[in-house]
Amino acid sequence: MGIMERIRKFIGGFSSDAYNKQIDDNVAVKVEHVSMEFKITKDRIDTLKEYVIRTLKRNKKEKEKIRVLNDISFNVYKGDKLGILGFNGAGKSTLLKILAGIYEPTYGKITINGKVAPLLELSAGFDKNYTGRNNIYLNGAFLSMEKKFLEEKFDEIVEFSELGDFINYPVKNYSSGMRAKLGFSIATMIEPDILIVDEILSVGDIKFRKKSSEKINELMAEGVTVLLVSHSINQIRKICDKCIWIDNGQIIMEGPSNEVCDAYVENAKGSTSKK
Amino acid sequence: MFDTITEKKFLLTELVKQNLTSKYKDSVLGILWSFFNPLLTMLVFTAIFSMLFGHNIKNYPVYYLAGRLAFDFYNHGTKGAMNSIRKNANILKKIYVPKRMFTVSAVCYEFVNFLISFAILFGVMIITRAPFHPTLLFSIIPIVLLVVLVFGVGLILSVCNTYFTDIGYLYNVFTLVLLYASAMFYPIEIVPSQVQFIFTLNPVYCAMSCFRQCVYGAIPDITMILYLGTFAFTALGIGLLLFNIYEKKLALEL
Repeated sequence: MGIMERIRKFIGGFSSDAYNKQIDDNVAVKVEHVSMEFKITKDRIDTLKEYVIRTLKRNKKEKEKIRVLNDISFNVYKGDKLGILGFNGAGKSTLLKILAGIYEPTYGKITINGKVAPLLELSAGFDKNYTGRNNIYLNGAFLSMEKKFLEEKFDEIVEFSELGDFINYPVKNYSSGMRAKLGFSIATMIEPDILIVDEILSVGDIKFRKKSSEKINELMAEGVTVLLVSHSINQIRKICDKCIWIDNGQIIMEGPSNEVCDAYVENAKGSTSKK
Repeated sequence: MFDTITEKKFLLTELVKQNLTSKYKDSVLGILWSFFNPLLTMLVFTAIFSMLFGHNIKNYPVYYLAGRLAFDFYNHGTKGAMNSIRKNANILKKIYVPKRMFTVSAVCYEFVNFLISFAILFGVMIITRAPFHPTLLFSIIPIVLLVVLVFGVGLILSVCNTYFTDIGYLYNVFTLVLLYASAMFYPIEIVPSQVQFIFTLNPVYCAMSCFRQCVYGAIPDITMILYLGTFAFTALGIGLLLFNIYEKKLALEL
């Protein structure tokens, strides 16, 4: 690849093959043989000294790796509502992070067809010294929104977040609930094709919870593809029509949501009664 | 996510703004420190060194400031870019943002600072009654090349620093050496002529020296410009290559 092309690619931004759009039009998310490995921290070489020493000792190989996801493949068609089940540490959140583009899978390929809105960490982009007002723009920018869009939606965001005059105070003076409410209000001001949700359906106090779950339901309207991770089986049964169950980084079961939920609950009961 | 240029441009401006406001957030004078800082060190250096080098250098304050601004931009720009990925680790691990945005914004922020501090240079030039030569317009050439150089070196360092934390400490020492090897506060003439050749191999010295020539009414040295240009674009090429290869793996190293 020539330097000019590199530069063009650099300026033009994210256009890697992982996100190419030449796939079947009905598929929203295509996951092909995805595996994810993490290096174990204690064995990591992160100083130059260690790197040199280990190179000299010919002991550079970092042996210990954990495989969090192991050869996962599935398709999500447009308009599908897919629930992802699994016990803690099964690899659900890693899978969502890969789908959101935060991590690159070690092996395998992911193809995404449409505009993604990841509702993963809602207040990650906040600057604590910024006022709520400035944070709306900053966080919006992190979520790939445009300035014009944010200006239009500004009042709606403030109103939804119920912050009132607090919007002009620095976020460091907010309570965690207020922060979560603001984060939620910004992140949900979108009209996505694909919604990735990780356990955030309940934010804030009782008043806000009702409102936020209504908002989420609104976002999950007809036609929007949803990928939902939740430990609330009821929620999954209500929202999702399909389900996959992940354990130890592998798909154990895949199918209509009620069937998978039943099997999952059964399994959970079994393993607790054994103890 | 981040498919259009407008989205990226908006994020970039927001990041630069965030840098500008956070730097001096608790100080009374705020952004004014961007002026005072070089101004005060200029006074100190002028007091000390104009006695030593006064007969060699015409208008020491301007000589010092022109060098200082260029060096500061290189120094802070590359260091800002170097730390940009690590500094924003908790964002990069939680939401998807193209990592290059942070590196680019760090350099842009330092460039804005650089432009702001031009006001001091011009101010001092007016006060010391230094003439404004039309060749000042040529200074755009070394400045643009310096920006390219900072981007290139910054990209290389940001990848290296994410993999090896001690690159940062090493680079701090390196820039100190670079400071003395750039003839920032002394005239190049005090260096033995055999050694002067080595100075011209230092791209930062080239940028600084060409910039000074423009300020002092001369056409910048063409060989220096060519050398600086080659060096800067090579660095940028390597930086982009490295960044393209490692960008997606960086999140795992944080």
